Amino acid sequence: MTVLPRLRLPAPIRVALISLAFGLVITVPVLLFVYHQTDSLFEQRIHDRLDDAEQSAMSVYADSGSAALPAAMQQAIRTGELRGGVALLVDVRGHKIAGNLSAWPPVLPTPSQWNEIRLYPEGQVRAELFAIRTIALPSGERLLLGTTIDERERMRASLVEALLGALLLAVPLGLIGGWVVLKIAERRARAIGTVASRIADGDFSHRLDEETGGEEFSMLASAINRMLERIEELVEQLRLVTDSLAHDLRSPLTRMRANMERAAAADRERRQQALEAVSLDIDRMLRLISATLEISSTEAGQGKQHFEDFDLAQLLRDICEIYAPVAEERGMKMTVVGPSSLNYTGNRQSIGRAVANLADNAVKYGAGAIELGASDEREFLELWVADRGPGIPFDMHEHALGKYRRLEEARTTEGSGLGLALARAVARLHAGDIELEDNRPGLRVVLKLRRSAGNLSLL
Amino acid sequence: MTKKILVVEDDATTADYVAKGFEQNGYVVDVASDGRDGLFHATDGHYAAIVLDRMLPGMDGLAVLGAVRAAGIDTPVIVLSALGSTDERVKGLKSGSDDYLSKPFAFSELLARVEALQRRGPSGAQPVVTTLRCGDLGMDLLARRVERGGSRVDLQPREFRLLELLLRNKGQVVTRTMMLEEVWDYHFDPGTNVIDVHISRLRKKIDDGDRPPLLHTVRGVGYMLSETA
Repeated sequence: MTVLPRLRLPAPIRVALISLAFGLVITVPVLLFVYHQTDSLFEQRIHDRLDDAEQSAMSVYADSGSAALPAAMQQAIRTGELRGGVALLVDVRGHKIAGNLSAWPPVLPTPSQWNEIRLYPEGQVRAELFAIRTIALPSGERLLLGTTIDERERMRASLVEALLGALLLAVPLGLIGGWVVLKIAERRARAIGTVASRIADGDFSHRLDEETGGEEFSMLASAINRMLERIEELVEQLRLVTDSLAHDLRSPLTRMRANMERAAAADRERRQQALEAVSLDIDRMLRLISATLEISSTEAGQGKQHFEDFDLAQLLRDICEIYAPVAEERGMKMTVVGPSSLNYTGNRQSIGRAVANLADNAVKYGAGAIELGASDEREFLELWVADRGPGIPFDMHEHALGKYRRLEEARTTEGSGLGLALARAVARLHAGDIELEDNRPGLRVVLKLRRSAGNLSLL
Repeated sequence: MTKKILVVEDDATTADYVAKGFEQNGYVVDVASDGRDGLFHATDGHYAAIVLDRMLPGMDGLAVLGAVRAAGIDTPVIVLSALGSTDERVKGLKSGSDDYLSKPFAFSELLARVEALQRRGPSGAQPVVTTLRCGDLGMDLLARRVERGGSRVDLQPREFRLLELLLRNKGQVVTRTMMLEEVWDYHFDPGTNVIDVHISRLRKKIDDGDRPPLLHTVRGVGYMLSETA
């Protein structure tokens, strides 16, 4: 694997940068919005104040003429609309009549609605920023009214400070947040890694803790656990298959070897017998292999394309007809119960094979009366084979359904041990399952086939 | 006239094994090692039967089969395949083959099936017979009656079908799987002694008494109905 030459920052710094970027993306527009809103609010207030001042000055002028203005201006600056502001009244030639400015600001046009200008009111050493309005009076005098806008400036400055502060705060917060998130993720990742490496060492029993660590981690943990479950099942199955195949192939191979040696040394008659025994063993091994392949392909969902309409009850009668004589030979009786016809859409050949396997098992391991039956259970159609033999203890049921499981360890009874596994694969092909039940006494194997299994996609 | 068999098989060992087997049974065998060659032979010679491998280089076995049938050649064809599942079998039969045998197989099984195919004749053209006979055993297909040496034998319907199958293949081996396929229409291996039990019941009914037995066991292969042991 080639590593591209690119900047690799340590993980906490990367996380911090990302959270910083997110912080900025969120705080900057908010602060800008607040800034804009407050600013226009202040501007409106300044306007209103100037409007009020102009109005009252004009009403004084209208009532009493320009002579009354100086007193009104004085009052407005001290306590009225223009408190803390400036006012100036000059005559036609520009000489000051009254006000707290020494002279008309030279740059100011007349009249004007709105000007921002830095002025030195009389008695102050520091220039202040004022919003200025100038009015030309009909009698020729000019009036200047100004209100302080320092508070707006202060507000602006503090907003900028807040913005900078937020930025400064976002960096350490981002770092801390990033570090915390990283630590949490790291701890989770380490837990997953520990389990994974234990599994890599061959111990499949470990599972992740699904309870702690928040919903996402729980979901991840449970997904991983499900995967592990499945892997463990498959590995276990594979191990059993290999073990059992090895066992099941080794015994006939050993027998074949012995027979071949005998054949090489013996006379014609004995040689013939030995060779026939060899060919029987070969047949047995071939059957084992085909059965294994058949189960694999059925489990893989092959066979869906050959669904057809047929009568399950007739199928039971066929299988019964095939196996009943064998049962009778062993002192058992095989009968079919249930409805006389039961239509179904499925793979007739594989269902036939599954039921035949069950019937074969019943004849081999069961006893007494063997019943093949069918029933209609709404969603499922059930086929069952019941015997009166020793049955299988409940805790061994799951074990019995696996591949290559014959319950007696000696493996002396003939059979590949694949019958139930194939039947289960066939049931699953039809979106159903197989169930083992206690027949009191004996075993009852139920093959559940889902109606309209042909329309369902394979699970 | 010697009968000719065409074996289309790319695996030299299998081809040799099959060819030798047929030769020992009095056939003349042509072997083609790929689909094109096989098709060429099939359209050219008059074969009693064609043994066709499913997986071939050059041209797929089922494609060869399609071409052969499209050319109007109705020589019986038996398809061999390592794809052994029943579904592959159905596919093979639907493509126009007359029989299907999954690998690995016993040569005896192949021989029995090829001989059964020839007796059946070109697909669809079964000669109409109403009576079948083997020694003093007679079967009336219309009246569904069976007699041995003049006395009536009572058979269950399936036993009747089983005996009919054996009679139609008189003097030839019928394997256990052929019986399950023909009589019950299931294509699985029924296990070792299931068919044997049915045969032994049939045997009790037709070979009972002092008359020479007609139903013979061919060890390792199947059963045969024949006047001579």
